Amino acid sequence: MKTPSDENHDLIRWLDGEMTPAERSAFEATLKNDPELAAEAESMRQLSENLKAHLPAEMPVPHADFFNSQIQVRIAQMEADEAREGRKSAESTAAWLSWLRMPWLAGAAAAAFAVAGLVWMQTSPTGGASTIASTYTPNPAVHAQVFHSTEAGATVLMLDGLEPIPAEKKVAGFRVHHAESDAGVATTTLFDENGVVLAVVALNALGQPQVLK
Amino acid sequence: MSAAAPAATDPVEPLDVDLVKRSQAGDTRAFDLLVTRYRSRIYAMTYHLVQNETEAWDLAQEAFIKAWRALPNFKLDAAFYTWLYRIAHNVTYDWLRKKKIQGDGEFDDERTEHRAMPGSRTAPQGFDAPDRAMKRQELGKRIQDAIARLSPDHRQAIVLREIEGLSYEEIAEVMKCSLGTIMSRLFYARKKLQEMLKDTYENPV
Repeated sequence: MKTPSDENHDLIRWLDGEMTPAERSAFEATLKNDPELAAEAESMRQLSENLKAHLPAEMPVPHADFFNSQIQVRIAQMEADEAREGRKSAESTAAWLSWLRMPWLAGAAAAAFAVAGLVWMQTSPTGGASTIASTYTPNPAVHAQVFHSTEAGATVLMLDGLEPIPAEKKVAGFRVHHAESDAGVATTTLFDENGVVLAVVALNALGQPQVLK
Repeated sequence: MSAAAPAATDPVEPLDVDLVKRSQAGDTRAFDLLVTRYRSRIYAMTYHLVQNETEAWDLAQEAFIKAWRALPNFKLDAAFYTWLYRIAHNVTYDWLRKKKIQGDGEFDDERTEHRAMPGSRTAPQGFDAPDRAMKRQELGKRIQDAIARLSPDHRQAIVLREIEGLSYEEIAEVMKCSLGTIMSRLFYARKKLQEMLKDTYENPV
């Protein structure tokens, strides 16, 4: 014997098309013999139609452009915060990393096109996942974002706020495998994975990183 | 899930899958296109659930931010909208739950009236005579008011079924409860709406 709850469930399952064909036939036979239930079913069917007609599945977003731009701003802030956190973490684990806040393009800073520096620290000398430990933009108006895909074996550097770079200027980067500091001459030498010297960095009189080689 | 929205079919429009891949590579402009494509649906969903324009706006935005953060883990094994929809629903559900815990049962402050977007899936078709159009508009407003007066659980079940078109199983999964509970919620939500709108049926539009 069906409980009132079962009957209620049958009614809405019929209404929502959740019955099997056999269940549906049986329920519709019941409806023919029960005018009260049939009236209830009709009333609920009308309600369902009205809800569908008057509750739009799409609504215009107020201030839609601002909605989008705020999302972009929040994403940029989030990534800047994460980059800052990453930098703090890296700095706290190795003091010499502060030396690595070097301009990415040797000489480019002087040309006013200097943009950003990146430092990758490999987790193991034999390869594996890399971590972007630091980004540095001499020009504070330039915002650097780095995206690395181990799977693709590629890293994309995005620089927002940069002036157009003339075609003849070449933008290049390098991947730091490890670094050695020489306290005697206050320099840090950066090496690639083959042990080849990439750059020698020192701080200038203003405490800013400077590429010596 | 029935909540899947059709991805762009215009040959000029980039496909969702391409925009997702570009977004996963960090292309925020591609993500912006996805936001533009789905913001109206996500906002409608959050609005129907919370019945407050400001909160719905914030929740929709939160959903897109969470989606951006989760994109690296999205394997493209579902339609982007289905995935996004679940995120938006979870964000809104958490908000409703917190609101409930805080004992703030009022959801109808600062409520504003909305009209369906032209061309949207559920927008009324054709042109109505002015008196008929006015009646329709009044009915729309009354339905919105009635929905706002439902409990969050009942409102959620109705929105997921009637607007998003989810099956009972999908609703049970989203709301994390049994099929029997979902059926009961749908039944009692409809009974309450019937009661609140009963004169509509006595004097149909």
